[in-house]
Amino acid sequence: MQLDVLSLSRRFGAVQALRDVSFRATAGEIVGLIGPNGAGKSTLLACVAGLDAPDAGIVRIDGAEASAIARRHALFYLPDGIAPWADQSAAWVLDYAAALFGAREAWRDALAPALGLVPFASQRVGALSKGQRKRVLLALALLVPRAVTLIDEPFDGLDPRQARALSELLRERSAAGRTFVLSIHAMGEATRTCDRHVLLHDGRVLADGTLPALLQRAALPDDGGLEEVFLALT
Amino acid sequence: MRSREVTALLRKEFRELAGARAMLFVAAAIGPLVAHAYQTAVAAFAEASGAGGGAAALSQGLSPLDGIVAPTFGAYATAATLLFPFVAIRIVSAEKESGAHALALQAAPNAGVIVGIKFLALLGAWLLLWLPGLAALAFWHHAGGHLAAPETLGVLLGHLLRGALVSALGMACAAVTESGASAAVLALAVTIGGWALDFAATVQGGWVAEVARFTPDAALRTFERGEIDANIVAVTVLAVMMLLAVSSLWLDPARPRAVRRRRLALLAMMMLVGGPAAGRLRHSWDVSEDRRNSFDASDVRALGAITEPLHIEVHLGAADPRLADLERDVFRKLRRTVPRVSITYAAQTSTGLFEGAGRGYGEVWYELGGARVMSRSSVPAIVLETIYALAHITPPPPVAVAYPGYPARLNVPAWQLVFLLALWPLCVGGLYVVPRRITSS
Repeated sequence: MQLDVLSLSRRFGAVQALRDVSFRATAGEIVGLIGPNGAGKSTLLACVAGLDAPDAGIVRIDGAEASAIARRHALFYLPDGIAPWADQSAAWVLDYAAALFGAREAWRDALAPALGLVPFASQRVGALSKGQRKRVLLALALLVPRAVTLIDEPFDGLDPRQARALSELLRERSAAGRTFVLSIHAMGEATRTCDRHVLLHDGRVLADGTLPALLQRAALPDDGGLEEVFLALT
Repeated sequence: MRSREVTALLRKEFRELAGARAMLFVAAAIGPLVAHAYQTAVAAFAEASGAGGGAAALSQGLSPLDGIVAPTFGAYATAATLLFPFVAIRIVSAEKESGAHALALQAAPNAGVIVGIKFLALLGAWLLLWLPGLAALAFWHHAGGHLAAPETLGVLLGHLLRGALVSALGMACAAVTESGASAAVLALAVTIGGWALDFAATVQGGWVAEVARFTPDAALRTFERGEIDANIVAVTVLAVMMLLAVSSLWLDPARPRAVRRRRLALLAMMMLVGGPAAGRLRHSWDVSEDRRNSFDASDVRALGAITEPLHIEVHLGAADPRLADLERDVFRKLRRTVPRVSITYAAQTSTGLFEGAGRGYGEVWYELGGARVMSRSSVPAIVLETIYALAHITPPPPVAVAYPGYPARLNVPAWQLVFLLALWPLCVGGLYVVPRRITSS
């Protein structure tokens, strides 16, 4: 599945959150939306997912313009900082998500060991730590059988070992043909995980490409990092 | 619509409702509320039936509808006003604030389906809350007390509509506000607005009184007196649908603000047109066993034969007790019986105490077939005589009263109070705690 985002703009009162943002994600690709806090990453993901109304712009799925409702059913978006169904256990939340979205895989088989969910699966979501809750929600996002998954700050709250495990899991799933669009402000995680980077600043796309292409565009040496690119371009 | 998503959402709503502290509190509180209402009602009914050794009231005046059913289920009017709106608010605002709504939107066909499912779950919960009330009525019947099915079901229908309205209102308040606390303030403001309208209607009359017939309290009173009024049912159902539509509109975050404003204006227009149209529906059913909302069968036949329009002009203030008597004993029955009747309220003041004597205060003019006659009476027999004379109809002979009344000197046994006051709340608490222990063990 190919996702094309074309000229999205979104304004909240006096604040222009997104200005004419365009990017593409192709099948099996991991695209990172990179930018500081307030760059418009979450707003962009919500607009793409059909959970916010952009003032202008369109989203195409496999070349055809998709309405908000069509996007909600074709993509899956996991917002950051949510604590859904806090009174229920983590296991119940994942079973419920599997039933609701018609998951084809059992979360206990691969996701639970990969994300380390087993020790706290029977605890209430509301009683979990930030990192534990994040891992439950990441399992939920991976459980939902959609070709394109949008995740807001997937590494936020994870320790380095967990972040590395998640990165490997995402690479594994993308190799099977699944597309990921990840909003990330931690440049190290983005470099390790993403195939391509869309640099956002003040609601605009500064640059879009692989790390070598971005280094070239910023006239930086080949051993430079994403952070240097970002600093050079802003 | 895909059944997998709907089934999963519905099961989740029931589970969430069962585990919600707000619902637990309401469920636990309803037992003692019903216990108090039931015990008071049975004691008062027994006193009126001569239990204290004094003279009993006329047996025709002892109706279980007024004495037992309406007061026992009155506990649910309190719950619907002060408790259940918060359950409805929570079911929406908790998911909005936690992010669960954003996830559910990506599975449900649209926001309207989510709203519909939540509404169904709330109605189911409301019906489950009836268990103590129904148990109390079963206790009464088991002890030998009389219950008439049509009038009892009429009261239950009133409470069902009240629950539906409160659910839809709570959901709409939660949908349009940012937090549960703001939604609670908005829902309370609407409730107080309804009370204010009820109060204004008693002193002002006119169009305010017409609108106030449809406030939740006034609508419920209609069912409690054994009448099912098509216009009250229609207006309530319309209000519920409008509130659910508002909820659906606001719970879809991808709708641009301009679209929301346009659709809200459209809904307001529909309510402005549909509300008065529904309010003009004239059909009603008298389900009271004592037929208190109808004239005698012979009068009904005679009045039903009047084909010409009957116009009544009343010079009585809204707060005048004579108008209340006329409304209750004559006008309400005439509206149900005479095919074409219109009533004009011509008084200039609310009480008549300070109205000029020359204005004919206290007069009631009846106009039929070009003839006009004035009467000051509020006695049904005299008013009917006046109308028959205008219509040139011979008054039918009076029919003997058929309603026997059901005096009952019963007591509420202690075990029934223990069930309602203690066992019911304990059962509710157990249903809340045990599944959670099992889940977390």
